[in-house]
Amino acid sequence: MEIQWSLVLFTALSGAGAWLVACAGIDAFKGLARKTVVPAIVVGIALIVIGGLASATHLSHVDRIMAVLAHPAPGIFLEALLLGIDVVVAVVFLLLYRRGASAGACKALGAVAVAMAAVFSFSCGSSYMMASQLAWNTPALPLGYLGGAMASGAACWYLLCAVRKEDDAALIWAAQLTVAGALAAVVLPAVWGFASGVAAGDGAVLFWVGVMACGGIAPLACGLVGMKKTASALPLAVVAVVGAFIGSVAYRVLMWTASVALMSLFGVGI
Amino acid sequence: MARNCIVVNLDRCTGCFGCEVACKMENGVALGERWSKVLTVGPVGEYPNMTRYALPTMCQQCESAPCVSVCPTGASYRDEKTGIVLVDKEKCIGCKYCMMACPYGVRSWNTAERCVEKCTLCGHLTSQDKVPACVKSCAAGARFYGDLDDPSSAAAQELAKYDDADIHTLQDAGNNPATRYIMTSMIGQWQERVEPKGHPHTAAYPMAE
Repeated sequence: MEIQWSLVLFTALSGAGAWLVACAGIDAFKGLARKTVVPAIVVGIALIVIGGLASATHLSHVDRIMAVLAHPAPGIFLEALLLGIDVVVAVVFLLLYRRGASAGACKALGAVAVAMAAVFSFSCGSSYMMASQLAWNTPALPLGYLGGAMASGAACWYLLCAVRKEDDAALIWAAQLTVAGALAAVVLPAVWGFASGVAAGDGAVLFWVGVMACGGIAPLACGLVGMKKTASALPLAVVAVVGAFIGSVAYRVLMWTASVALMSLFGVGI
Repeated sequence: MARNCIVVNLDRCTGCFGCEVACKMENGVALGERWSKVLTVGPVGEYPNMTRYALPTMCQQCESAPCVSVCPTGASYRDEKTGIVLVDKEKCIGCKYCMMACPYGVRSWNTAERCVEKCTLCGHLTSQDKVPACVKSCAAGARFYGDLDDPSSAAAQELAKYDDADIHTLQDAGNNPATRYIMTSMIGQWQERVEPKGHPHTAAYPMAE
């Protein structure tokens, strides 16, 4: 199957944006990176929206998109719904934070943001679980989507903390979040890689170099070093962000190229 | 709900491609696209126990149609009156989810209209008590149309002539294809899953799979 770049960018960007907002939500509990929360939510919303717009470029008749409201089927509708809810949660969180709402309210919205990021990034992958697609029809696929988004979002948070020159405690915490996200980006995509056979098939090089090394090991190493060397936070965060995004994109590209149809009797590709 | 579909008797099919041509002529299917396609399965096995047969394919009118359940706009739908799975092109946004979800890859992309289309079982004909063009044109009399649940339909009557062991469907991934293929041991061994290898020849998957 041909690589659907619109959909690759959609889930890679929107997933990262959702988890960036989630990191800001986690900070509502820690209170370490006050200077970063607002720009992180703004950038997160921007990533979610840009991703959503990217997905629309995949459609031939965007003018008929409102028809989805008349048929709330799983899959595309669920993704669009969750994307919209995630943006609303982020905007409300931003308004509460900017207006100095109570810590309890910010924590509540922060917890919702984390939950939404997990549900949204997982659902972006679960839409592809179809009995007709032998390599996709496993829960390991959306788990890989989740892992890549966690790493990208956490790395973005680390980068923004570094850019905003947060103090050492915030940078160390951001590096720890990056490590957590990177671990998810190593373990979860690996499950699908082995379950689908991609790890040893034609896409093995892209899997091991793109998904594992760039998407998982690189941000993991940056996070581990960053926990000790706060002075090098900026370059480490840049490498972590670039690596995590390469991993996310590579994972999605592999999903398309590894597609195995139950039968393709007409030999028609999409 | 009615289970209207095509029944193909492979014992009679000569693989003449007449159904494929009739479909294109009747429905104005664009050059390079198909709503109906005849594949050649095999030869598989070892002499003298070899199997080779023509396999006419089209939308299998699945009872649990994945194309309908994944469609975000309801453009892919099941007609309540006839039970036939159809595409409302006015609602299609061109996301191609249905093409991914179809277990058999029997949906086509209409480049000019930028939407998905497929076999309609010639609804414009069957609504007037006529038969689909592929059925009417079949020179071997191998194709039958009708409701599987109506004992008086041509499809049900043809199936009634054979043992269950001689009646087959394409591999079922939980979608319950309605289309039936009749093939007895006279022709060879039914291959449940086939893989196109160029046009129009087809190889059966290894039995181990």
